Amino acid sequence: MNAADLQLFYHPKDRLRMTVGEDRSYPTVKPVWAAPLSHPEKYLSLLDGKGDEITTIPDPASLPAASKVAVDAELYRRYLTADIAQVIHAKTEFGATYWTVDTNRGRRDFVTQNLQENAQWLSPVHIMLIDVDGNRFEITDKTALDTKSQEFIAAIL
Amino acid sequence: MPDAPVVRAESGLIPDDTKFDIRLESDFGDDGQFALRHLEIANGTVRVTEANGATSFTIPIAEIKSARNEPLVGGGRLEITTTGGEVLPIISYSQTVAAKFSEAARGIEQLAKGQPLEINIKDEKVRCPKCDRLLPEKDGICPACVNRGKTMLRIGSFVQPYRWQMAALATLSLVTTVLNLLPPYIQGQLIDKVLKQGKDFNQLYMLMAGWLAILAINSVLQVVNGRTIAFLAGRIAADLRSAVYRAIEFLQLQFFDKKQVGAIASRVTSDTDRVWGFLVDGVPYLLLNGLTLVGIIGFLFYTNAFLAACILAPVPIILGIGAFFWKPMSQMFHRVGQKWARFHTQLNESLMGIRVVKVFANEDKEYAKFQDRNHELRDAGVSADTRWYTIFGAMSFFTSLGGLICWTVGGTMVMHGQLSLGEFWRVTAYLGLVYGPLQWFSQVNQWFSRAMAGAERIFEVIDTDKENYRPEGIKHEIKGEVTFSDVRFGYDKSNPVLKNITFTAKPGEMIGLVGKSGAGKSTTINLICRFYEPDAGTILIDGIDYRDIALQDMRRQVGVVLQEPFLFNGTIAENIAYGNPEATLDKVIEAAKAANAHNFILSKPDGYDTMVGERGGKMSGGERQRISIARAILHDPKVLILDEATSSVDVETEKQIQEAIQRLIKGRTTFAIAHRLSTLRNASRLVVLEKGEIAEIGTHAELMEKQGKFYDLVQTQSAVQEIIGIGS
Ligand SMILES: Nc1ncnc2c1ncn2[C@@H]1O[C@H](COP(=O)(O)OP(=O)(O)O)[C@@H](O)[C@H]1O
Ligand SMILES: [Mg+2]
Repeated sequence: MNAADLQLFYHPKDRLRMTVGEDRSYPTVKPVWAAPLSHPEKYLSLLDGKGDEITTIPDPASLPAASKVAVDAELYRRYLTADIAQVIHAKTEFGATYWTVDTNRGRRDFVTQNLQENAQWLSPVHIMLIDVDGNRFEITDKTALDTKSQEFIAAIL
Repeated sequence: MPDAPVVRAESGLIPDDTKFDIRLESDFGDDGQFALRHLEIANGTVRVTEANGATSFTIPIAEIKSARNEPLVGGGRLEITTTGGEVLPIISYSQTVAAKFSEAARGIEQLAKGQPLEINIKDEKVRCPKCDRLLPEKDGICPACVNRGKTMLRIGSFVQPYRWQMAALATLSLVTTVLNLLPPYIQGQLIDKVLKQGKDFNQLYMLMAGWLAILAINSVLQVVNGRTIAFLAGRIAADLRSAVYRAIEFLQLQFFDKKQVGAIASRVTSDTDRVWGFLVDGVPYLLLNGLTLVGIIGFLFYTNAFLAACILAPVPIILGIGAFFWKPMSQMFHRVGQKWARFHTQLNESLMGIRVVKVFANEDKEYAKFQDRNHELRDAGVSADTRWYTIFGAMSFFTSLGGLICWTVGGTMVMHGQLSLGEFWRVTAYLGLVYGPLQWFSQVNQWFSRAMAGAERIFEVIDTDKENYRPEGIKHEIKGEVTFSDVRFGYDKSNPVLKNITFTAKPGEMIGLVGKSGAGKSTTINLICRFYEPDAGTILIDGIDYRDIALQDMRRQVGVVLQEPFLFNGTIAENIAYGNPEATLDKVIEAAKAANAHNFILSKPDGYDTMVGERGGKMSGGERQRISIARAILHDPKVLILDEATSSVDVETEKQIQEAIQRLIKGRTTFAIAHRLSTLRNASRLVVLEKGEIAEIGTHAELMEKQGKFYDLVQTQSAVQEIIGIGS
């Protein structure tokens, strides 16, 4: 399947649909990242309503512009990961680390435990924090954060 | 954004004017931002209200056909299917509240079907009511607010049986302290009273005799002290380990799903170490050094207040350095510890996989990985040690400064005649006793905290929910009827793995469980073993809800043969008799014969006394399997479970195992999962699972005839086997 032929759009309002060229149509499409950590923003798989793969697009940028917008909207809904923009406060006490962060989804408090397992270093600057409930908080590039945030991160990790 | 309210995911107060069937707080707004929203179900409608109270979505329950939870990454979404067949996503939520929304979906379905609302939404505490910190575990302990005093008392309860020895230890410490202070005093007397005046040899010998006596007593005390500590350390450590292990044994399997074996084991080893180390080494050490310090400082001031004040002037600096650098230092050492752990993992892995490494000719790549870890470790170690020695250097400068001040000020005072030589000698001698323990005192708080953290982790295990053993439950002689009645279960409550499971296995029947990988076959079996209990619905054994039966009594009548049988390090005979240790060798041999294991066992040099190795590592897969079948035969269960018991062996061995299994299943209710579907041909009935639900039930012949799901599975499998056949 050629990515440029994929028309993705919402219809009705909350359901992502897809038509391929003239002949094929999928009433429900779920976009999922095939390798979100090692290849962020690449390898987007489209699944049908039953969870079977329809196709995988190596580079989603090659989708038609309108389709890309629709897919991005759906991805934002499906991946509830929050991108940390600023660490307001972080402190380790008695084996638990308490965080207050500003993210692309707003401010949030969370707790992490056992950071050896729950802070994954995806690269020397890219960190994924998983809180005690399984919620995810991502720091895409810690060097891009303000000094104060970086100090918190350095002190804790 | 900085002023945005902090979103909290705990459930809010329910206003008392409306009677809600369900009211839940979610933490994501419609736009994907963290925000407070509510799902409300009342008066026959489902509604979503926004933080400002406005209603953003409503639907009458009469228009709802079903409700489900769509799992998302880091949370989920409640979706409703209308009677018109339209799917409406109505509210998203984070993982924090996912379990509640899963119950809500069930509740909506029940209401939609006109059934009474039967759900279980726990109003769990998310924040500590005392300090408002988030709780690491909902409804759990707040690590910041756990009552230290209470924890101390609980630790104390481990000392309780040895209270006399502890009291003796404390007394010994006290006496030793005093005795330690005496020799410098005697030396002072010696200088001032004896040496100065010249000729009184008698007094000299008296004093020396006194000194000798003190040395002798001190040595005896030290021996007694050491022996008491050894006695206490051994016993308290063993008691702690037993208590933790015993608690872990009875925990629910959920606990083991969530935590790695290594992490659990460390609670038995390192956490208990921290606690007893503190109790047995730390407390007396603290006591001894604390008393010595107080004693000496008192003595110094008593001897000469001015000199004492001068000598002790650097003390605050030393304490300051200690307090300031301790934290970063301990973090650095902690990091070295972590690097060691990573290094070990890497080393273990590459050595255990050495065959794979060689076959792929990846020696260089593994070496590069090893080097990475090795250098990480080196760098962390070097930087920690560099820093440590720098700080240590600074500390020792200030420590030695004490001596310098002592000689400068003291020397001047002696020359001015304000201080006798004997007094000066005494002060110098005590000085050494002050500065030693001081460097160490700044770390006491950390030591204490670590011990407390260890204690809390231990008590957390001890306090975690135990399996529902119900020793007071019914003792029931199982006949073998097993009924699933509308069973629902999920490892993660928000994501059911089994739904609407209803079927009955009659006594003596063999039920084959069939389905694709991940369909829920092993989960069904876990429920039968009562490793987990259903979230909803019931499992009945001979018509009794199995939760009413005493757990161990029930499990004694259930036997399992797994795909990867686990043998304990011991002899073959011991492993076969694992469930019945009192079984005679005759019985063991009988079972081994029935399991087609007798012949291969006899061919081993030590026969039934052959050691199987760690985890049975010295046996082949087929041998392990037959030993585990013999174990099950000897155990003589009423309900038997075979989970892919023949998957990992060659065809010839499989034939032998099949034969053994045929003997084993006679007269027992059997649940079998088999990879090769043809092996289930003689099952009484097959239950075909698909995505956690029953797709079909029937005999092999019926299902083949019906040409449904099972037929498809068989077709796929024979097609695959043909392909493999051509390939080989
Ligand atoms: N201990 C567990 N914790 C969480 N999920 C599990 C666990 N065991 C199995 N699962 C999940 O439950 C589903 C059913 O698994 P299982 O019953 O083992 O399937 P089968 O035996 O039919 O292959 C799978 O999606 C699997 O990932
Ligand atoms: Mg399985």
